Amino acid sequence: MYKWIHQFGSPKYFYDISVRLSKWIAIVCAISFIGGLYGGLVLAPADYQQGDSFRIIYLHVPAAWMSLFVYLVIAFSGAVSLIWHIKITDIIARASAPIGASFTFLALVTGAIWGKPMWGTYWVWDARLTSELILLFLYLGYIALQSAFSDKRIAARAGAILVLIGVINIPIIHYSVEWWSTLHQGPTISKLDKPSIHLTMLIPLLLMVLAFKTFYITTLLIRARSEILEYEYNSSWVKKYVIK
Amino acid sequence: MSKFSINNLECVRQNNILFQGLNITIKDHGLLQINGANGSGKSSLLQICSGLIEPTAGEILWNDKNTKKYRYEFQSNILYLGHTNAIKSSLTVEENMKVMHAMAGTKSKIDYSIILEKIGIPNTNEILTCNISAGQKRRVGLTRLFISKSKLWFLDEPFNALDEQGKKIIEKIIIKHCKNGGIVFFTTHQEMEINNYPLQNIHLGNNNA
Amino acid sequence: MLEYINIFYVIFKRDLTLTFREKTDFINSLAFFIIIVLLFPLTFGSKSELLNTIIPGIIWISALLATCLSLETIFRSDFEDGSIEQLVLNRYPLILLVSAKILAHWITFGIPIIVISLTLGVILSLSNEIMMALFITLILGTPILSLLGSVMAVLTMGLHGSMLLSILILPLSMPVLIFSTIAIQNASLGLPIVAETYFLAGILILAITLAPIAAASALRIRLS
Repeated sequence: MYKWIHQFGSPKYFYDISVRLSKWIAIVCAISFIGGLYGGLVLAPADYQQGDSFRIIYLHVPAAWMSLFVYLVIAFSGAVSLIWHIKITDIIARASAPIGASFTFLALVTGAIWGKPMWGTYWVWDARLTSELILLFLYLGYIALQSAFSDKRIAARAGAILVLIGVINIPIIHYSVEWWSTLHQGPTISKLDKPSIHLTMLIPLLLMVLAFKTFYITTLLIRARSEILEYEYNSSWVKKYVIK
Repeated sequence: MSKFSINNLECVRQNNILFQGLNITIKDHGLLQINGANGSGKSSLLQICSGLIEPTAGEILWNDKNTKKYRYEFQSNILYLGHTNAIKSSLTVEENMKVMHAMAGTKSKIDYSIILEKIGIPNTNEILTCNISAGQKRRVGLTRLFISKSKLWFLDEPFNALDEQGKKIIEKIIIKHCKNGGIVFFTTHQEMEINNYPLQNIHLGNNNA
Repeated sequence: MLEYINIFYVIFKRDLTLTFREKTDFINSLAFFIIIVLLFPLTFGSKSELLNTIIPGIIWISALLATCLSLETIFRSDFEDGSIEQLVLNRYPLILLVSAKILAHWITFGIPIIVISLTLGVILSLSNEIMMALFITLILGTPILSLLGSVMAVLTMGLHGSMLLSILILPLSMPVLIFSTIAIQNASLGLPIVAETYFLAGILILAITLAPIAAASALRIRLS
């Protein structure tokens, strides 16, 4: 197992595998994206309360899930690279950050657009939205710290410490914000905790979740490949690939 | 008998291979000078040996124990002096020495005035270090050589900013330390006049071309 | 054991001495704090009900901003003059030495902030309940800021621009700010503040346990 990790951790191996994988994952992503959108925007019935405006959940919900998921991925790979010094996890963390930040941004924007018909205003200090906003700042801090170092190895490990502290902090942040928002406005309208969601609505949503996840993996692999080339530009195999 | 060895050491900085496959074993009484042009990785080698930075490959052993695993056991046997003096300019000379003394962990009482006299800056105990010259500051930093009881010394350019007399004093204390069973690694780009003691040399550089 | 206490004390005392001799940074960050707090009565007028509701929050925000400023200096000179290498390559655990530095920072920064805040509270005639809540939240909250901030200070030391430090600290210190201001609001309404106090104490304990470890390993990483 350990040996396998090390083999997988070698940048060349990762590069080769990712070239082969990313094509198939991209295809899965495209299919589920089209399917999810069609199902969500055309097939699913309008919500009896919110009408058609609910359909934005097909972007908002997967984006919000992914925003946290990517942060956890960064934290996990940060922990791995701190403990075992595996290069590839440095690269994964580094390549994931801008994607995660974009998901967070998307979740905020779609949340705001959704908020307009729901609450009559683009921004409400809803607990989820506020934590999402703080998460965006955590991402921005991580990216800023990464770009402040010229040595990528140090950048990755310094970032790992930051993101691990962030991960410990996220539940505290979420809880504090929830505490604060219930105090200020009474219980907020919870968007997702509806006891039952109709199957025709649920399946497109799950497809969209799959689409977002595969989109993340595809872009991650592409970004990671260019990071690897930059990281390893001195090694012989990179020279061979580039010339080819 | 103590033994310090580095095995198959490699250092890559900013995608530049500074050195590769470096092996050194050195025992008590060893005096080793690291030579090489600017940027050849002399300081990096000292920093790697002391454990300050991690090598990209290879291991460092102190008495056949990996220094990374037995970090504090190793660290209580070393003294590292970098380019900088590591003294505080708004403390007096003696206050600085007190901090060094505490960090060195030696319990014995030390007469700071005698050490200052030995190193050629007598009666400076009460002066703030921001008010003395660069050479004198270097000497204050180097009083660690008198305070420390560590066996293994890593000295990065110890003769920088020193005049002839200061250089002689430091050479003398280095040789005395080796004669007493210590081990010294140092870098310098100045001519050394160590005639009466066997000096080992390693040369770094030109393998990154 | 005695050795460890001794080295802790030496580093602690060294940092205190340095702060008091190099007064400017120390005084500037406290002056910055006072000025920000005083800006608000000047902009919002001096009606006491309004001030009673916003001043405690303002004190907290100012303390947070001033912390960002003051933390920049905690490792700066050590980093520049090479003392940090001596701390790292020491026979004593780095966590211990870093803790001494963090404690020194809190003593020279957190305590003055608390004292000044309470004085400002008296001058601006805050009610007793609010003063009490302010005191409790500050005494639990400022050490959290020092601990958390020192890790960020290590991560950013030697990198140009103190903006980065603030960007890292501010989002992470949001819970402290939120719990503290909720506690103060509750106090002003005559409600109990036990829950928030417990939360702050919990975060403080978490920070005391983890921050020195994080700061020490961040130091090693930054030097490599």
